[in-house]
Amino acid sequence: MRAPRPAPAAVCALAAFALAAAAFAARAAAQTPADTSRPAAAPPAAAAPAPDTAARAQAAAGTTGLAPAWQLLVGHSYSSARALTQPATFTVEQERGQPLYTVLDAAAMLRGALADRAWLEMGLRARGGSARPPGERAYGAMVRAFGELDPVLVAAGYEYLADGHFVVQQPAATFEVTALGGAPGLGTWVSPALHVRWRPWLGVSWGKGVRPYLRADGEWTGGRFEAGVETTGWLVDGTAVGFVQGDLSVRLVGGLFATASGEAGRAPPTFEPEGRFGVGLGFRLGPT
Amino acid sequence: MTRKDERGHRWTDVGVQRAVIRIVRRLSPGFGRRVITLKTRLHTDLGWDDWYPLRVVKPIRRTLHESLEDRVVLALKTVGDLVSYVWNRMEDA
Repeated sequence: MRAPRPAPAAVCALAAFALAAAAFAARAAAQTPADTSRPAAAPPAAAAPAPDTAARAQAAAGTTGLAPAWQLLVGHSYSSARALTQPATFTVEQERGQPLYTVLDAAAMLRGALADRAWLEMGLRARGGSARPPGERAYGAMVRAFGELDPVLVAAGYEYLADGHFVVQQPAATFEVTALGGAPGLGTWVSPALHVRWRPWLGVSWGKGVRPYLRADGEWTGGRFEAGVETTGWLVDGTAVGFVQGDLSVRLVGGLFATASGEAGRAPPTFEPEGRFGVGLGFRLGPT
Repeated sequence: MTRKDERGHRWTDVGVQRAVIRIVRRLSPGFGRRVITLKTRLHTDLGWDDWYPLRVVKPIRRTLHESLEDRVVLALKTVGDLVSYVWNRMEDA
């Protein structure tokens, strides 16, 4: 059996991401932090005057105390806001007479500003663990730029995906669009009593061929409990394929969760049929 | 206390507060008038997802004539944060 060997392209992509992340982290650390001494919800009357327009804009951002140059987020996957909200999970399974199995679904993403109306995201993700055959594992790295054009949000990016053997590799440019809002529950809870929201994305991936896709995510929150589902459908060589993943989580403390998660369908890069269900510990950093 | 927006219109702090709360309320149609205050949390109380806060940028530009930065808007946590941000972008009258 051939040992998994990362392809040069994969190594280069991951190394480039790591270098970029380190550079941006250093830059973020070097910048003056926002003024956190002021209460976040200070009334307007308490705001200090600023001497000129540039300083005023800077002070305005600093007043919130909530505008870091770069933000690190950790979740299940970077494929959507919902997937990032879904905790990253690590599961260990033991069967009698069998080796110890692990399942890992995790992503880390760095988000920062490009301009007043645009920002950048860079991420790494992994669907791995010994419980998955190498062909069902997937590793990815992406860079994505967003532009806000109310009433829509557009995203253009480049993603590298590979299977566990790094035999199937799929570099692709992507373009996505979503409506910021406008329908009940789109991007915001339906009502104070019904904490349900959803968001659709329409996209196209251009790598080894052109693949249009539609992704939708929905979530529900009730106290310590959260549930979510993300489903994506692709048109691959004229055939429709889909993948769905969902979770039910209970917040234990801080960003730590007990999570039951499952997935089924055909996911890139191999688009081979797969499915699993498991219960494990989840961790989330960043999105609420 | 008054300040001027980018077009030179004068605003009182109370006026800015009311205008912002009106915009937030319009973007949260399922929530009643009394629910939204300065302490209302955009993500936790109103359930706005990662991208929904960007919907305030255009109405604030139209109503209060202030251009907001997306990265700051995305990091706001409460209605009070948004009010303070808009107010601090205005010039002293």
